[in-house]
Amino acid sequence: MKLTRLFSAIAIATLSTAALTATAATNYADFPVTVKDYQGDKTSSISYGGQIARQVLHTSLMKLSKTGNGAANPELLAQMQAYFSGKDEGRAILAPVSQEGFVLAQSKVDELSKGKNLAGKTYKGVIAGWPGKKTGVEVLEFLIEKAASADAGFDYSNGMDYPQLISKFAMGAIFYNQAVDNYLDEKLAADVKPNDKPYKDGAAYTGKEHVWDEAFGYFGAPINAAGLDAKEAYAIAKGKKEIFATADLNGNGKIDLDTEMLYAHAYYAAGADKAGKSNYLNVITKAFIDGRQLITDAKGEKLSAAQRSDLSAFADVIKTNWELVIAEAAFKYAGSVYGDALKLQAGVEKNEDVKAAFKKYIHHWGELKGFSMALQTGGKDLGGFAVSLNRLIGYSPVLLGNTQVTGIDAKGNYQQESSISLNEFALHMLKVQKLLSDKYPLKARLNDKLENLSALAAKLGTGKSTEND
Amino acid sequence: MEQFLTQYWNDISALFSNSQQRLFWGYLLSASFIAALFSLKTRTGTLKTTVKTALGLPHWLSKSARADYQLILINKAIYLLFNPFLLGKLTVATLIFETMHLSLGHRNIETELPEWLIVMGFTLFIFIFDDFARFYTHKIMHEIPWLWEFHKTHHSATSLTPLTVLRTHPVEGMLFAIRSALVQGISIGIFVFCFDDKVDLFTVLNVNIILFMFNLAGANLRHSHISIHYYPWLEKILISPAQHHIHHSTAPRHFDKNYGAILAVWDRLFNTLHLSEAGTTIQYGIARDQKEGEQSLRALYLSAFANSFKILKSRLYKYRLFARKIKIKDVNKNTNHL
Repeated sequence: MKLTRLFSAIAIATLSTAALTATAATNYADFPVTVKDYQGDKTSSISYGGQIARQVLHTSLMKLSKTGNGAANPELLAQMQAYFSGKDEGRAILAPVSQEGFVLAQSKVDELSKGKNLAGKTYKGVIAGWPGKKTGVEVLEFLIEKAASADAGFDYSNGMDYPQLISKFAMGAIFYNQAVDNYLDEKLAADVKPNDKPYKDGAAYTGKEHVWDEAFGYFGAPINAAGLDAKEAYAIAKGKKEIFATADLNGNGKIDLDTEMLYAHAYYAAGADKAGKSNYLNVITKAFIDGRQLITDAKGEKLSAAQRSDLSAFADVIKTNWELVIAEAAFKYAGSVYGDALKLQAGVEKNEDVKAAFKKYIHHWGELKGFSMALQTGGKDLGGFAVSLNRLIGYSPVLLGNTQVTGIDAKGNYQQESSISLNEFALHMLKVQKLLSDKYPLKARLNDKLENLSALAAKLGTGKSTEND
Repeated sequence: MEQFLTQYWNDISALFSNSQQRLFWGYLLSASFIAALFSLKTRTGTLKTTVKTALGLPHWLSKSARADYQLILINKAIYLLFNPFLLGKLTVATLIFETMHLSLGHRNIETELPEWLIVMGFTLFIFIFDDFARFYTHKIMHEIPWLWEFHKTHHSATSLTPLTVLRTHPVEGMLFAIRSALVQGISIGIFVFCFDDKVDLFTVLNVNIILFMFNLAGANLRHSHISIHYYPWLEKILISPAQHHIHHSTAPRHFDKNYGAILAVWDRLFNTLHLSEAGTTIQYGIARDQKEGEQSLRALYLSAFANSFKILKSRLYKYRLFARKIKIKDVNKNTNHL
């Protein structure tokens, strides 16, 4: 077993070197058609338009979820459902949109791919972190319904920020789940979507080429992300005009949403990497490129066992680092909620107006909750870790009267019960950070609230402990 | 195994290359310099004799010193194996931090105190707390009979060299590691809870500045044949090398004196302070009459276990007797009532 791993590692190292020196594929681009007897006129085998369409369906859905007016709004609900489960033509891309100095090439979902939705690709398993024993699809449907009648996405009575919950959970239950539990998992098997056949009749890409492309599309990185600086990548996602020239790779004066934009977990990878301690965006994209090169190099032949083993090793790099990106985000927001809870408590004790502090607190909790649930959609059994994570974070943040959501009744209303204090809940957030850092080898560790303890412990050293006076 | 050996070698070389260690080459150099100055200033014979005496080659080659070297080498391997299982300072710090969080009910980390004051406070607090913990542990190692059996390994040194500082029974070494974890963990936990990221340590070469000064000022001479003493008033504040030599003395009047590591104030508080005695020649060890095989590894490692076991066994026996007497008394009382 160890020998096989060693050979795989050597093979990967050799392949990586070869890729760098010989073919020098630094972008996720220019992979030729390898399908045998291809009759069409395409010269590139790359295709992941459906995934990018889902990326913009997600960003548009999030945008819509912020527009409620606090009352029942069937029109908004129908609109949100159109982006989640509809397949209608003519849906506009609501986010991202062109801005002055940052013009986008596409404004309709159909320009990327037609007839796509999110619901069909959402995780079907039960979500333990959300009340009501709902599946991934049902949780999103529930959140969308609540968001439609929320006040600009917020439900202050129950401590919910729906845009955050929808977005962060959807990124996991759709993109992460599809990529790591489907395309980079069972679809890499020998007899599934083989490389010696087109993905479907007449396609310019083989089964394995398209499977790999689809996973890349769900990651949400621009084609040049392997060599992109994290801060630049972050600026692209934010639509900063200063970065336009760098982002516009083909120089057509517009940002192509399928090749030049950053979405979802690629954006959060860049967010973590900005601190300079991690390199998730580059590492994941590089593994995608190397894996794609391996498939292309097979020249439309069936992948050998050794090639599939190497491809699985690239997939493992992607899956491991992708999981870390989500864990890093959860770690960061647990730190934010910790600080927010303490500030909120201080504000309450001083009889101050805490509306803004409370909004910030539930906003960060929404991010934390979304990411923590997303972490559990990768098809792995996280066992006791997941149980502890869900218990510590709760079904809602601790509210001002020291209550917390504990369930949902038959009509879909939240049930609250008395719970711990804000101070104790803050401590829970430290435990969340500890739990995450014990489980994952986190590198960025943004908002690390226990960093001072470990930094001082390291500074004091161990020198004197065995000296005898 | 290879990893173990690499770590072992790193730990051994760190003894002399890491400025957090007493035997860091810089401190040894400064101690040698101080020893040379002191020897020249107080010399009575020729320069050659003075240099010869100051170098103290017979001390370095003595049976006792050779036992020190063996103990150091063996102990390092033992610590490497067992220390990961001991209580860590980060565990203690986290526990203290969380307990304070829960029991105090709030955490107000906004303070108007200047940062330098907090750093100075932490540096001073941890130094004083650690020095007291070292004093008190040392005291109980002497006063509790079964613990003394382990501490005797250190006191059985009949020649003192700077390396004697590491002549420790591994059980005692592990107790010291736990003591350090508690002291440092408690200090870190309290200060980080109260002052968050404002807490830091004033350091020189990665060492608490106060400890650095202590080490630079000839701390290594505490275990040496160079008996430097301070002014009497200063010896009531700081323990001089000569005072520590008294602590190692075989003279009964010196027994259980000068437990302090750096500060003498703890000994003053507990009435165990003994000022240095100019002109007194001190014999080091446990008793004037040295036993055959006293410096053997068997005696240094195993005797402590055997003797402390005997003591604990006899204690248990006495306790049982006592318990039985009480029981009999109770029965008699009850019978009388009938």
